[in-house]
Amino acid sequence: MKLDAATSAGDIPEGLLEPALTVGRVTPGSLDDQVLAFPETKPPKQWYFALAITLTAALIGVISIGYTFITGIGAWGNSSPVFWAFDIINFVFWVGIGHAGTLISAILFLFRKRWRNAIARFAEAMTIFAVICAVIFPLIHVGRPWLAYWLFPYPNQRALWTNFRSPLLWDVFAVNTYFSVSLMFWYLGLIPDIASMRDRTTSKLRKVIYTILAVGWRGAATHWQHYEKAYLLLAGLATGLVLSVHSVVSFDFATSVVPGWHMTIFPPYFVAGAIFAGFAMVVMVLVVVRETMELKNLITMRHLDVMNKVILSMSCIMGYSYMMEGFTAWYSMNEFLHHGFMNIVTGTYGWAGWVTISCNILIPQILWFKKARASYFWMILVAVGVTIGMWFERFVIIVISLHQDFLPSAWRIYKPTMVDFGVLLGTFGIFFTLVLLFARVLPVIATTEVKAILPDAQPSHHGDEHHA
Amino acid sequence: MKTRLPDHGPLETPKFWRTLEERVETLDAQEAAHHEFLPSAGPGAFDDVHGLPVQDGFSRRDFFGLVGAAAAVAATVACDRKGQGTVVPYTKRPVEVTPGVANYYASATNEGRRVYPVLVKTREGRPIHITGNDEHPGVKGKTSPRTLADVLRLYDPDRLRAPKANGRTLGWTEAEGQLQAALKSAKASGKAVLLVSGAVVSPSRKALLADLKAALPTLEHLAYEPVAGDGAEEAAKASFGQSVDVQPRLDKAKVILSLGADFLSGEDPESLGAWGAQRRLKSAKDNINRLWVLEGPLTLTGTNADQRVPVVPSRLAAVAFALAKELAAKGVSLPAGTDLSAIPAQSEVPAKAWSNLVKDLQHAGRNAVVLCGAQMPAEAHQAAHLLNAMLGSEAVSVRAAEPLATVKDLETATKGMGEGRYAAAIFWDVNPAYTFPKASAWKEALAKVPFRAWIGQVEDETAAQCQLLLPENHWLESWGDFSTASAAVLQQPTIGTLYDTKQGEDVLLDAAKALGAATADNYHAYLQARWQKSLPLGTSFAQALHDGLVKGEDKAASPAFKGASVAAAAKKAADSKPQGLELVLFPGFATHDGRHANNSWLQETPDPISKMTWDNPVAVSVQDAQAMGIQEGDYVSLSLDGTTLRLPAILQPGQAKGVIALALGYGRTTGGVAKGVGVDAFPLLGLDPASAHVRKGAKLAKAGGKKELSRTQSHHRMEGRDIVRSLTMDEFEHHPQGHHHAPEIVSLYEDQKFPDHKWGMVIDLAACTGCSACVVACQSENNVPVVGPEQVARGREMHWIRIDRYYEGELENPKVVHQPMLCQHCDNAPCENVCPVNATNHSPEGLNQMAYNRCVGTRYCGNNCPYKVRRFNFLEYTAYKTEPETLANNPEVTVRPRGVMEKCSFCVQRINDVKIRAKGDGRAILDGEITTACMAGCPSDAIVFGDLKDPKSKVSQLVTASRAYRVLEELGAKPAITYLADLKNPAAGE
Repeated sequence: MKLDAATSAGDIPEGLLEPALTVGRVTPGSLDDQVLAFPETKPPKQWYFALAITLTAALIGVISIGYTFITGIGAWGNSSPVFWAFDIINFVFWVGIGHAGTLISAILFLFRKRWRNAIARFAEAMTIFAVICAVIFPLIHVGRPWLAYWLFPYPNQRALWTNFRSPLLWDVFAVNTYFSVSLMFWYLGLIPDIASMRDRTTSKLRKVIYTILAVGWRGAATHWQHYEKAYLLLAGLATGLVLSVHSVVSFDFATSVVPGWHMTIFPPYFVAGAIFAGFAMVVMVLVVVRETMELKNLITMRHLDVMNKVILSMSCIMGYSYMMEGFTAWYSMNEFLHHGFMNIVTGTYGWAGWVTISCNILIPQILWFKKARASYFWMILVAVGVTIGMWFERFVIIVISLHQDFLPSAWRIYKPTMVDFGVLLGTFGIFFTLVLLFARVLPVIATTEVKAILPDAQPSHHGDEHHA
Repeated sequence: MKTRLPDHGPLETPKFWRTLEERVETLDAQEAAHHEFLPSAGPGAFDDVHGLPVQDGFSRRDFFGLVGAAAAVAATVACDRKGQGTVVPYTKRPVEVTPGVANYYASATNEGRRVYPVLVKTREGRPIHITGNDEHPGVKGKTSPRTLADVLRLYDPDRLRAPKANGRTLGWTEAEGQLQAALKSAKASGKAVLLVSGAVVSPSRKALLADLKAALPTLEHLAYEPVAGDGAEEAAKASFGQSVDVQPRLDKAKVILSLGADFLSGEDPESLGAWGAQRRLKSAKDNINRLWVLEGPLTLTGTNADQRVPVVPSRLAAVAFALAKELAAKGVSLPAGTDLSAIPAQSEVPAKAWSNLVKDLQHAGRNAVVLCGAQMPAEAHQAAHLLNAMLGSEAVSVRAAEPLATVKDLETATKGMGEGRYAAAIFWDVNPAYTFPKASAWKEALAKVPFRAWIGQVEDETAAQCQLLLPENHWLESWGDFSTASAAVLQQPTIGTLYDTKQGEDVLLDAAKALGAATADNYHAYLQARWQKSLPLGTSFAQALHDGLVKGEDKAASPAFKGASVAAAAKKAADSKPQGLELVLFPGFATHDGRHANNSWLQETPDPISKMTWDNPVAVSVQDAQAMGIQEGDYVSLSLDGTTLRLPAILQPGQAKGVIALALGYGRTTGGVAKGVGVDAFPLLGLDPASAHVRKGAKLAKAGGKKELSRTQSHHRMEGRDIVRSLTMDEFEHHPQGHHHAPEIVSLYEDQKFPDHKWGMVIDLAACTGCSACVVACQSENNVPVVGPEQVARGREMHWIRIDRYYEGELENPKVVHQPMLCQHCDNAPCENVCPVNATNHSPEGLNQMAYNRCVGTRYCGNNCPYKVRRFNFLEYTAYKTEPETLANNPEVTVRPRGVMEKCSFCVQRINDVKIRAKGDGRAILDGEITTACMAGCPSDAIVFGDLKDPKSKVSQLVTASRAYRVLEELGAKPAITYLADLKNPAAGE
């Protein structure tokens, strides 16, 4: 690629050279054969088995949502004062999961971290799927979902306009922008690969579909020129979104008056939490993908090591944020804030507070050890822990803060219902169904981008500077 | 006024119709309904464009034509809202009815011996809201929560709609014929006839019963009020030699001693009004009374006490007699013949409080009053009568009253029935098969009475034991009269009978006629004839009906106290020692004796103290609960005299150790709402009338399991937050704001501008007793839905106004405060800026308003409301309702669908009503002209509403009072509701 080619490797001493990003001998041709072959082959039994499970989960979710539509929000455990619960917890959780993908594909691209190329496609696909899961919630959690479109400012004969002071409206824009930019970015990256698949396939149907999707890509120099420019621009756009989306989501809380929500630390804290949760999910899925799809040579232990390092550093930021929350509660001398913080560690839901702290702060510390970063056991343990911990962090923020706010007379214990769990399970079902389908129909690794970082593609001191 | 619907013959569900056609059900209309889109409406045999004959079936054009028409019809049909019918204007409009304008009628009702003169608001001929009659010198426009809610009973779908005999519906002629035949044969054979009714407080009803007795000499009448307090009745007979009605006159009281009396519970608007008047202090120099409370369970009166001492009820009499003895020793003269020698020195009340109490009573003298709770043992009542006689108290009126039957009389009647004494029995508005403690024995004996008739509204446990069921009018459909201390009160129908029902009086009148008495045609005529005779000069019956009353003090002398009765009572009191746990059975706040159990508004109104809805858990003192390891909601088994109940327990701070308390009126087995709610505690009622409601030797044990309590408040402490301020008189005088100072609120935004009005409210916590009348008034005014016990347990109750109750201090005898909490209509409302669709916003008059139509239901506003007064329709709570239930709705207030947020509107419909009328008259709105439902319903006038822009208005003056503060003011939301700090007036040095 152009950016890589611009680096003059000749000036770099041997020891500082980036180690090879692939293992073994990988040529552009073998790469195509390895990656683009999946959609061509018949899926293994395990794939169908996994799909059956995820589809069942998704179906449970659809039934739960249908039941909610028929009966109302009362089907859930939400009540006064906990007006928001699983609905918004799940929304924030899934939006957060999406962040890793954008960070990997956009920010690391701008920072020229070449190791990202092998995992960017998958991570970005996960972004799209996570955001799909996330947007379900704003739609279904409103009391009258058939009127949810009123949240969009569209001209209407009643001359009614939305309230631009409401952070929920900002959410609508933030999430919509995020989803559309992520989708465009992802699709743009896919075009050269789809074109390769179009050229390789023997099936007529696939040919038609890939032809349409490849929008006439011929690999001409002008194509590449436009492609690179568009990719760079979208990466720049998406970079801003990584920071903005979760900041805006955090405004839902930060701009309110609820003790435990009304804090200036929320935007950076939320962004860090999102990257944290997202990387954990990516690690979890990549380990499986790497093993089952035989991509060990492309998604290497080095990738996992780097991602584990990101998880570790985010964990430290989270630890700092938690401590700042406690410090603020103490230093502000605000009785409501103080009560709210004590609730997290000693209240009725104190267990949830400790689950959050253990999973997000304590367990990931194991990643300081190189051995742990190289061990499936530890990294999966940490990744699963972080996923649980980050879900509970939102539970802590939303439910604990709401269930005891200003007037003790209104305090009430919140209990979720089976429908709540059904919807949560359903979104996991939808997410993994989409992941499974994606893994079978589209290239899970951006071959064009990986080709650019193959050892042969690099300019070297051997004078072999023609690869680009 | 009375327009009877045409007779429909056998029971037909709702007799309402939307269009005249539907009502008449002509053949044409039925035909039309079936054949609206007949194929004959389709094309002819020739294609109308080309003139060609159509081959077979449709042409393409016709097909499209039909598809188009079908789509249009489908769209039109789909647009038709559910339940929407044709609106037909009156062809002959009744003179007094203007559509859209409310009419008010004065009427009255009673609950036991207490009379409630009321004003009934009707819209298009249907009663929708009740307030007290403001012309009445006693109640002054106020009434009780249960009376407020009674309008719902009119529209109870469970009402019996036509007479029934042995399960067969029949006409009135036949039904009354059966009754009259039975009475005639009883008269002929000289056998007794038993008539059981409620208390007789109506002079005309009394006269009618006398007429009936004259026509049927074997008639035996029992006036049965199961929760009126047999102890009080027994004590009255002993102390005065006759039944009496004791009514506090708190306007004259400086010191009040309550022996378990709950006169501030809301059922006595007169006492509440007088209480409020003495508590709404402008300055610490104003007069304030002092309330001493000695009681076992914590009552609402106890929560308002200045000094409260928990005392086991069976020891109350001994303590009160000891007080009399001590006062006598201090020179207060005892009535002649009084012997207190059996009374030892008391040990229940701590020495310091005791000496203060004695001093207070002696100082206040005629301005002191001792009141005893209806459920307390007879000796305690006698002690109270003695103390009032000693003090010469002017703060209580003791009037001769019609006697009430006690459990003993009922037991005698049971025996008589079992022995075949009665040829017939008539039960009129009473339910002994449920309220009599030995209900099965009662039923068994009743079966031996050959003819059993029941007169009532909703078929109950007693109706199930009777052959002939006669459906009765609701009081809003009836004529009647009552006598009160300050006025003779009239009851008039405010709507024609909804169903084929009759007044009980009419049935008895017809019976008297059939038995040969010469009397009026109907009860209306009977009543009118009686009134014509006694009306003062210059007052017409029409005027009396219009006012609902004729003023006039009851001049009958109070019966004299008999000192000789004391010795026996004192001996009994001195010997009364606590034994095991002491069970106090009290009438349920919502249900009373069970008669209101089918009223969902009342069932869902939280008990003012326990905040329980839809249930009657047994209240256990905190000390006993700790000793037995009982926690909130634990199931316990409560046994007494061989009866065992399994029910949930709650911990009641302030309840005396060794006392357990249980509400009556629950556990009904009939009624769509009442059935299965709570447990029936009547089987625990004692058969000794002197102490029927206070039972010794109860046993409590954990029964395993836990119930999720449908309670509206689960956290009872304020956690040291500045939410309810409470001042002693000393603090009020010297530093009313305490250590609080108004926070400095800085905002980046400009303040809201209010060009014309700025509505505001002031709530005086010193006057508020927590009686919850405002909650029911709001429910009735604003169509607040009922959600049921499961939803309440989840925190989804819908009340727009709630009463927060907090305990402070030690749990054995805490200080209790009440705080009405409703939408604060903040100027900088946190709910408003978070709504993404602008469904909640601020009016130019300072109202925080909800556009239900616009609400999508994100619930963000609910989260961001610091007062948590927003209510969300989590489920569909109203749309499934049909007539007659929907008739209770206020047409001026939108009924909210599922998925919509709602909250207090400051009764915007009432504001606009007054604004429109003022504009019509071309004048400004007067201060006090606009009343919110809660304000109008508040018996102690703790709530004041008005325009803060008008510097002369009452609210404007109160917001700057020294006791004024705003809740959570530091958040900067600028609430429009100002609270005035609660006042407590403890004795010096306490």
